[in-house]
Order: sequence, then C-alpha cells, then structure tokens
Amino acid sequence: MAANKGMQQALVRVKRYLPEEQQKTQSEPFWQEFTVPFDESTSVLDALNFIKEELDPSLSFRWSCRMAICGSCGFMLNGIPKLGCKEFLRNYSVRTSPAQKNTATNTSITASLTVEPLAHFTVERDLIVNMDEFLIHLEAVKPYLIAETSTQKQLQPSLQTPAQLAKYKQFANCINCGLCYSACPQFCLNPEFLGPAAIALAQRYNLDSRDTGKAVRMPMLNSHNGVWSCTFVGFCSDVCPKQVDPAAAVNQGKVESAKSMLIQMFKGSTAHEL
Amino acid sequence: MNANKTGSRWQGLHLEPLWWGLFSAGGVCFAVFIPAVVLIFGIMAPLGIIDISYQQVRGYYASIWGLMFTGAVICLPAFHAAHRIRHGLHDVKLGGGLVSIIICYGLAATLSATTLAAWYLLR
Ligand code: SF4
Ligand code: FES
Repeated sequence: MAANKGMQQALVRVKRYLPEEQQKTQSEPFWQEFTVPFDESTSVLDALNFIKEELDPSLSFRWSCRMAICGSCGFMLNGIPKLGCKEFLRNYSVRTSPAQKNTATNTSITASLTVEPLAHFTVERDLIVNMDEFLIHLEAVKPYLIAETSTQKQLQPSLQTPAQLAKYKQFANCINCGLCYSACPQFCLNPEFLGPAAIALAQRYNLDSRDTGKAVRMPMLNSHNGVWSCTFVGFCSDVCPKQVDPAAAVNQGKVESAKSMLIQMFKGSTAHEL
Repeated sequence: MNANKTGSRWQGLHLEPLWWGLFSAGGVCFAVFIPAVVLIFGIMAPLGIIDISYQQVRGYYASIWGLMFTGAVICLPAFHAAHRIRHGLHDVKLGGGLVSIIICYGLAATLSATTLAAWYLLR
C-alpha cells in the first residue's frame, strides 16, 4: 500500500516494548507515533503492516488470516479489545477544522487511534502477548468430545438433529482470540479464573448430545475459579467478534453448577450423571 | 479430575451458589415488585390518586400476603443488594474474603430477620 495521493492520513500511536534493547529508555514500554495513509477499506491490521513495511520494520505483531477467522490479531484499540483485521481506520475519524478540510492536503490528519497489546496478558514484545496464559484455561476444561470408547460404538455414525446442534452451535463459534479475557476485570484480578472463552467452551461440549464428559468438567466449573468468579460484568460478550456471548455461557454454567453441587450433596459423591 | 475417582459428598462445595440463588431471586423481585410498590405507596397514595386507608393495609399485611410482601420487597432484594455490594467491594479491592461476606450478608440477614419478626408480631 503506497501513500497514494488523495488518501487520508491517520495518526496511529503504538505502544512499543523492546525488552532486548540495551538502552533503558527503550527496554521499557514507550509510545511511538506513525502517520499512515488510509481509505475506506484500510483495516487497522493494514495500517500496522504499512508501518512495518514502510516506516519501522522492527514493529512486532501477530496476524494470519486477515478476515476474523484465526483470532491472532487482537489488540487494544483506543483501550477496547478488538481484532485489528475487523476494524477500519475510517471508524476512528477525528474532526478536522474547516481550514484543514479546505486545503485537503495529504498531511491533514483525519483519523487517530492508539494500539496497545491485549490487556491482562504478559507482553513479550510490542503487540505480542503470551497467549499460553489463555490457552491453559481452554485446555483445562477438556475441550473435546468425551464419548463412549467401545469399538462397537466408535464404528457407528454419531447422529445429531439440527435442534441438538443448535443447542451448542453458538458457543462453537469461538476463534480463541482472547479478547474476552482482555475485557474481563475478574481475569485481571485473578489470572486463575477460568474465564469467559473457557467456560463457553466447556458449555459447548456439555451441551453436545454426543458428549458424556459433563461429570468430568463440572468439578472445575464448580470451583471458585470456575463459573463463580464471574461477577456479571458482561463486557466479554460486548467485545466478542464472533457473537459467542460467553457471558450467557457463564450464566448457564452457574445454573448447571448450582444443580451439580446440589446433586452431589444429596447423592453423596462427585461422580454422577447429570 | 478423573471420572473414575469419586470425591466425597462435601468435596469442593461452597456457599456461592446459595448467595447467587438469593441474588437472582432478589433481582427478579427488584425488577418486578419494587417499581410497583414505589408507584403505589410512594407516588400514587401520597398524591391521592388512589385511596388506601391504614386499616386496609394493616389488614392485608397481617395475612399471608404480608409475609409474601416482606419476602419479595424486603428480604430477597436485601440479599440481592448485599451480593452486588460484596462483589463491588471485591472489584475495587476493598474488604474481600470472609469479612465482606459476613458484613454484607449479615446485614441482609439481620434486616430480613427483623422484618419477618415484625410481621410475626403485628400479625
Ligand atoms: S468467546 Fe469471543 S472474544 Fe472470547 S476468545 Fe472466543 S471469539 Fe474471542
Ligand atoms: S488476522 Fe486472523 S483474526 Fe485478524
């Protein structure tokens, strides 16, 4: 993307962090400003790629699909967790004074935004955070079908009606971008909280008619670091780029957890069919 | 945890679902009954739009309706508020742990017990 004439200019402030730099001023996080040309179709990810290719090749960030599928380009844009490839610079326009507008030179700034690494995670370099802190929670809920293992059963097709699919389909749309963890104040206070996406994923399998692993997943959801750390803030669902609505999953999880604990109390053991 | 390993009856249990259950029930009451109560007793009656005499209200209150009113308009909303305040304090890193549990739910329980006792005595 070259700086075409007629394109508008955006001021992009990027939070940099270069821990390997020897100079103290650079080994601490600092802000760097770039002026980036943009038009109607320029995404924030396009802007970052322009910076990397044309202005400063040392800028580091993750991306892959550039179409909101891979979930790797999460950043804080003006303080809100968003996917860089799904957001457009045109949505960050600033009012220009009439004088600036009339001259319509290439140098008038018509958009501005700040880009920071995802909040609540450890920053490794520039916009790259340690996603392991998120992935261990996903793994913890055993996010796979736990089903009958007899060979007899394995050879049978697993039938599922559209209605059975509809029960969990929404929760299966998660792309593991981690935006909901950056939105969650409880994950910030307590990084051991399972968190929105992991609970949505647990619900996704618990609600699947082919799965029989609910009894194995419930003790984790029942714990203080499970569904009960949620204090119904709901921002996770606001920022989710795939409308997974993890907050709804957490609330369903609370009902399920309350049921599971009651059953455990009356039955006298943690292993039970729910 | 392995599915074959079974825990005992009390393993991993805690009171959070109880507080959450009271909170949810209180939330419904807050949304459904309290606006009606405010409208009737706080606005319409003082403005004389509707006419309710003390004796009438006293009569209703002494019945089982009075008990239900107390539960739906005072006790459950009190626990709802207590839960909100407790989590609000946690969010701003104040109190936390057992102290805020005892203070918040303790106040709600005291208020509930007092109003229920009042109903019992005025019955
Ligand atoms: S639930 Fe939504 S915000 Fe959270 S990781 Fe999945 S797709 Fe991203
Ligand atoms: S690059 Fe894949 S989600 Fe943005």
